[in-house]
Amino acid sequence: MVGLLLVVAIPFVTNIILSFTKWAGIGSPSFIGFDNYIRLLRDGNFWVSFLNSIAMIVSMALVPTAISLLLAALLSDFIGSKFGPRIASFFRAGFYLPQILPVTVVGILWGWILLPSSGVLNSVLDGAGLGALKSNWLGQPSTALAAVMAVMVWFQVGYCLVMFMAGLARTDPSLTEAASLDGATWPQRFFHVIIPQLKPEIYVVLLTTSITALKVFAPIFVLTKGGPGNATTVPSYFAWQNFFSKNQVGYGSTISTVMTILIIILAMIFLKVQSKGQEH
Amino acid sequence: MKIPSFRRRAAVVAAVAVSAVLALSGCGGPGGSNAGKTFTVWWFESPDSAMGVASAQVLKDFEAAHPGVKVKFEQKSFDQIQQSGTMILNSSSAPDVLEYAKGSATAGLAAKSGLLTDLTDVASKKGWDKKMAPSVAAVGHYDQRGVLGEGPLYGVPNYGEFVGVYYNKDMFAKYGVKVPTTLAGLESAMDAFVAKGVTPLTMSGAEYGANHLWYELALSQADRSWVDNFQLFKGPVNFNDKAWTFAAQTLVDWGKKGYFSQDSTGIKATDMLNAFTSGTSPMMVSGSWFDGQLKTGVKNFQWGEFQFPGNKLTAGSGGNIWVVPSKSENKDLAYDFINRTLETSNQNLLGNSGGVPVAADPAAVTDTHSRAAATTFKTLAGSDGLAYYPDWPAPGYYDQQVKALQGLLTGALTVKEFNDTISKPYEDYASQLK
Repeated sequence: MVGLLLVVAIPFVTNIILSFTKWAGIGSPSFIGFDNYIRLLRDGNFWVSFLNSIAMIVSMALVPTAISLLLAALLSDFIGSKFGPRIASFFRAGFYLPQILPVTVVGILWGWILLPSSGVLNSVLDGAGLGALKSNWLGQPSTALAAVMAVMVWFQVGYCLVMFMAGLARTDPSLTEAASLDGATWPQRFFHVIIPQLKPEIYVVLLTTSITALKVFAPIFVLTKGGPGNATTVPSYFAWQNFFSKNQVGYGSTISTVMTILIIILAMIFLKVQSKGQEH
Repeated sequence: MKIPSFRRRAAVVAAVAVSAVLALSGCGGPGGSNAGKTFTVWWFESPDSAMGVASAQVLKDFEAAHPGVKVKFEQKSFDQIQQSGTMILNSSSAPDVLEYAKGSATAGLAAKSGLLTDLTDVASKKGWDKKMAPSVAAVGHYDQRGVLGEGPLYGVPNYGEFVGVYYNKDMFAKYGVKVPTTLAGLESAMDAFVAKGVTPLTMSGAEYGANHLWYELALSQADRSWVDNFQLFKGPVNFNDKAWTFAAQTLVDWGKKGYFSQDSTGIKATDMLNAFTSGTSPMMVSGSWFDGQLKTGVKNFQWGEFQFPGNKLTAGSGGNIWVVPSKSENKDLAYDFINRTLETSNQNLLGNSGGVPVAADPAAVTDTHSRAAATTFKTLAGSDGLAYYPDWPAPGYYDQQVKALQGLLTGALTVKEFNDTISKPYEDYASQLK
């Protein structure tokens, strides 16, 4: 209780109070009412970062969830039954690896892979005779966001996969067996048997990954620092920039407060939809 | 930081003898009043850099001179000081003396918040102001708005840095290219390399390489008052004027002519350096902080440096500064520490370790590269040719410039849009200063 108060409640309230002030992080804050909020609504950079947040939800929540569902079904249904549970576990662990690597390592690693001149990806493309596809991945606005999104998919798949495999271990295998005896094809089984059974896990995974996506900071920081231009800026990075490099603590607090409110609203909507889904 | 015990003993004996003499003559000795105190020093230069080597020597000498004082050193990182410096200075755990990031947004903020000791009187008493050229000392002066260049002295730089053109002498000889002395000459030299299928410049657009090149190009069309208006807020700044427009347009043209790779916007500073040290790029526009790494890194060719052709002004300044926090309880000891960093012997050591000293005896700097750098810096400082760095005026400006330059070089921004993008953070901050 004391811990919660110290680590969550007090900073949270302080942050809200600071969002109504102008403060450089030192000296005394001056109260300016809603000025920061008005500035935020007019700030083009914030809206760009907000749109990029939506791209992050796509690449950190929606796409990994879809890919992981398919992978989980394949691993448990196909690989697991054909090659035994050990091979399936090996794959699961492999997909989970990005989650346990320190983010800085991920940043440096992908930085090397995506380097324009001597990067691994461009060298591979060259070797495969696909030199025309080579690109300055993180260095130009047209490809930077897509490159970061691809890295985020790679990063998130493991987490979703482990959740879904745990879910499948809970479900009754006789259902899928019965369906296949009735002549259902694999896609039919996947859509009509496996997915409905995993509904609770899908809700949890979508909610947690969406929140992670809205809060994402470290991967952006190590990969692109929000550049080139504002192509990959996200709200957390934007808040950090105001807090620490521009010494505009009040404005940084405003961005954090707005993001917190958005995340709470998102979570409430999810929980509503989830309870409705379970009633059905 | 242990001194061999016999040396320590000798130092103690010497100090005791000196104190005894001083006591007899009625003066307070250095060992006397400070005995039993703990003196804390922080810096962020890496141990193997010239500045790190020189500072370590200062610490050694300091310990020997104050045997009764317990000296505590902590290695910090630049980012720690850059991002949480003011919070540290404002806390009870501030050190007695530390290296601080220069510039209005960092040291300026700390100075105007009353967190740093005014060193103006100490500097004139100990003669520091005589040792540093005014344009070098500028990084230590901050006015009540926190703007660099004027006002009391709050920090003391003990090294310098400047931007120039590093070149591969072997490649120049192989392709018959001469060292250019004008901007047009530099373009012809680059044309000659391009004609042979060689990309003349290695350039980092994901970090500060592009910022420096862009600023050098602007400075080629600028004078001192232009710099003072931009850096010190002395007058109006028009970001669509001749100098800024020329710089942005020329950078775009150079990219199109293949003077640097189209991939530059994804290249970091280390990669830029590697392209030069590996001998694949004939030229690199960057700063003297790379001297040490070039000395150890370049194995297979001769290299040299020339000033950005035709420029009377160049990016450069005094280095990061030694400051004394207001909360320091051992200010006299802190002054003594700073004094030692400016002593000729320590300055010579800094020069011979690959740094650019501010008060060395050039004759005592034996390494040819270091001597050339020290001489160039002295000339620049003497002729008021140091124009600081393009990101100094506003907090958080560096990141915004890097991103805007990436936009300019990839064609996402036109020259006009780029100039407007650059002007916004500057105008925002300038309006807060009024």
